[in-house]
Amino acid sequence: MGASSVQLFPEFLAEVLGLPGVLGEVVGALIAAAVVGNIVLAFTGVAGPWAKRKITAAFTDRLAVNRVGPFGLLIIPAAAVQLLAKELIVPEGVDRPTWDIAPIILPASALLGFSVIPMGRLGPINFQLADPEVGFALVFAFASIASVSLVMAGYASNNKYSLLGGLRAVAQNLAYEIPLIVTAMSVVIFAGTLQMSGIVGAQTETLVTIAGFDIPAWYAFVNPFAFVLFLTANMAEIGRNPFDIPEAPTEIVAGYQTEYSSAYFVLFYLGEFVHIFLGGAILAVTFLGGASGPGPESIGFIWFVVKIWGFFLFTQWARSALPRVRIDQLIEIGWKGMLVLSFANLVLTAVIVGVIA
Amino acid sequence: MSLERPDTADDAAVERTPDELEALLGDLVVDRDDHLNAPGFVIRPDTVQETLSLLKEQAGYDHLSVVSAQEYENRYESIYHLKKYDDPTQEVSIVVPADKDHPVSESAEPVFRTADWHEREAYDLIGIEYDDHPDLRRILLPETWQGHPLSMDYDQDRPQIATLPEHANPLQEHHKDDESDTMFLNIGPHHPATHGVLHLKTVLDGEQVVDVEPDIGYLHRSEEQMAQSGTYRHQIMPYPDRWDYISAGLLNEWAYARAAEDLADIEVPEYAQVIRTMGAEMCRIAAHMLALATFALDINGDFTATFMYAINDRERVQNLLEDLTGQRLMFNYFRLGGVVWDLPEPREEFFSNTRDFLDQLPESVEEYHNLVTSNEIFQMRTIDTGILPPEVAKNYGATGPVARASGIDYDLRRDDPYGYYDELDWDVVTEEGCDNFSRLLVRMREVEESAKIIEQCVDLLEDWPEDERNIQANVPRTLRPDDDTEIYRAVEGAKGELGIYIRADGTDKPARFKIRSPCFSNLQTLPEMSNGEYIPDVIAALGSLDIVLGEVDR
Repeated sequence: MGASSVQLFPEFLAEVLGLPGVLGEVVGALIAAAVVGNIVLAFTGVAGPWAKRKITAAFTDRLAVNRVGPFGLLIIPAAAVQLLAKELIVPEGVDRPTWDIAPIILPASALLGFSVIPMGRLGPINFQLADPEVGFALVFAFASIASVSLVMAGYASNNKYSLLGGLRAVAQNLAYEIPLIVTAMSVVIFAGTLQMSGIVGAQTETLVTIAGFDIPAWYAFVNPFAFVLFLTANMAEIGRNPFDIPEAPTEIVAGYQTEYSSAYFVLFYLGEFVHIFLGGAILAVTFLGGASGPGPESIGFIWFVVKIWGFFLFTQWARSALPRVRIDQLIEIGWKGMLVLSFANLVLTAVIVGVIA
Repeated sequence: MSLERPDTADDAAVERTPDELEALLGDLVVDRDDHLNAPGFVIRPDTVQETLSLLKEQAGYDHLSVVSAQEYENRYESIYHLKKYDDPTQEVSIVVPADKDHPVSESAEPVFRTADWHEREAYDLIGIEYDDHPDLRRILLPETWQGHPLSMDYDQDRPQIATLPEHANPLQEHHKDDESDTMFLNIGPHHPATHGVLHLKTVLDGEQVVDVEPDIGYLHRSEEQMAQSGTYRHQIMPYPDRWDYISAGLLNEWAYARAAEDLADIEVPEYAQVIRTMGAEMCRIAAHMLALATFALDINGDFTATFMYAINDRERVQNLLEDLTGQRLMFNYFRLGGVVWDLPEPREEFFSNTRDFLDQLPESVEEYHNLVTSNEIFQMRTIDTGILPPEVAKNYGATGPVARASGIDYDLRRDDPYGYYDELDWDVVTEEGCDNFSRLLVRMREVEESAKIIEQCVDLLEDWPEDERNIQANVPRTLRPDDDTEIYRAVEGAKGELGIYIRADGTDKPARFKIRSPCFSNLQTLPEMSNGEYIPDVIAALGSLDIVLGEVDR
């Protein structure tokens, strides 16, 4: 495929800085990773203290964060200072250092996922850090490390609510990761590659032309069934309503994060938001044509940002409107429903692709 | 008309005269001690179970409303107030004196499960011991409390030590044996789903509940004793607002007003009754809206839109109540013999505001049905969970929406009419589901019935001739009901049967003031509803009971 012809972000930086060979690769990679990481963290910074509240307020007919700065935007630094200035309370009997490592693993794993996501072009820059041939498998691997963090936190907190939250996280991830990945495999069968840029590239063709409008061959249009399956499994994967079971504040008091305060809590909170954005990014790449959209290719990054924020909006919408399912119901939906459907989807796709191609 | 009851051919429903009842009980009756509301029979303390089961099985008295206990100069006394679910105007009081030096009385728990908590409360506050009681512990006060606060020799200056280590610490116990591997979990006293300070001692097997025991008393404020030290005329009325403080204040005030007015033989002017009825139903809407809001919080999670929508609607009623009473929560609007002041001027504005609210209410209710009750996930979560069969509900003395959602057609507004209810056209709502979903549905449908009542009241008030707007009867400045008159009167509060027992001793203060809280009895059913279910179902069941700890603990 034509993927290797596109210049990646680190290569671009090495070229701009004029550094040749290994040195250029290392310096370019470090700077590029820092830039991408900070972009994602900036998203969460806006999303957590500000956008989330604004969105929820809009859904629930009320005002929110409108006191500090224009549109309440200065709540972002205020919240940052406030959260970091809080005392870190370490409960008696927590299992250290597991208890300390858990809040680092969650944001780290979600951030790692962004290393292979093709986020599109902005001017001359192509926001993608690496494009390995197994990129698609890699991103799911990174994303599922998150549940390790939840189990660690739940187990190490020496709190029964946290333990229940950790157990729920495991059960939920087992029930949903398999349908998620099996559904994603049906896309791989279409695209014929595990490389992220290849999957995006395969969606740029035109599916049909209706009244002069080209409908692109996004897999959401090619296979809407798989899209809905993937979206559902993705909500469970990132643990949002109606599948926010590991947290369930009104039942098990925030589950695995009950005992975390101050900076550790911020890390968890951050990790969750990065995870939502990673979920949105995977969804965009797999089903929504990645960075493609109207206009020149050089503004693709903007379309990509719109898509992942659109997914974020969707999670908040679900949070405002949908009830939470019960843990046994979730497992039933996962193992008895989604798993069967996702395999049916996979087999059907394989047969159709096999017959046509 | 809708208010007529269907006829039941059952023998148990037949009303018996006091003499027939005395004949039925035969030798069990030692003496007669009639109360204003019901015939009273004095029995020996060791024949409680025999007497109550005779009345329950033979005469159909299947509802033990409350057990009021008190201490006299020469004896202790427990009174079992019995009623029929089919007709609560048929009442009988069973008076059980106990020895002054050694107050022991047989427990009624084997006959009526609800007696469990009521007798524990009597033991806790008065000091009567109940033989054959399965679990006679303190219920409202800490286990380490010294003395019984409502008994005569109680020394309130004695320092009380209620330190944490004195409590049993179940965390240290290992709930493990060869066959089971369970976990003890404290839900509360501070937990988002307990809606106040309630402590659920829960034993879990994985995610499933093996046992749950509500531990109450964290919000006990000696409301009964405070009422006993206030004068009938003015000093007691502010307290009821503080029992069910979820804006159900007028309903609570009516409970006291009804009991005291019947005790002192006060006739309330019709105009005031209409205002009372209207205000009370506004409170019911506000209370049910909050019940819906918090139930959505339990099922959906803490960012649900339903919560804010329902709070918004409650706010509209709250504004009307503020216009009417001048207060938002602690109304203190009723007076013995009427209400404190007439409708706010200009009256037309108040009527049009009320009508505006009533006009938009169906739209809101429709929205809740779209958003909540028709949601498949919501139905999946609530239908067939937290089952409370009607027989169990009756055994526990459950009333209000909890009982009506189990198909028990019991509403004091219709069955034991007071105020202006029997003149108006409305229906008693029942559901047959016995589950969490039905309990929510009953409340939502009751909101619509309350709106019907308010509308009719507004119609009446609008056309009321100006010279007949009498808001208060002539009531003596100081009320001194006759010595040794006793009365138990109940009204249909937001959560169920809210009753008051008063014994007068000839002074201007009640000698005994006992509150029958519907939440207290309803909460007792929680273990029945949740054993064997999942943790989220316990939370849902608790939410569907719609308890207010201020009323449970008093």
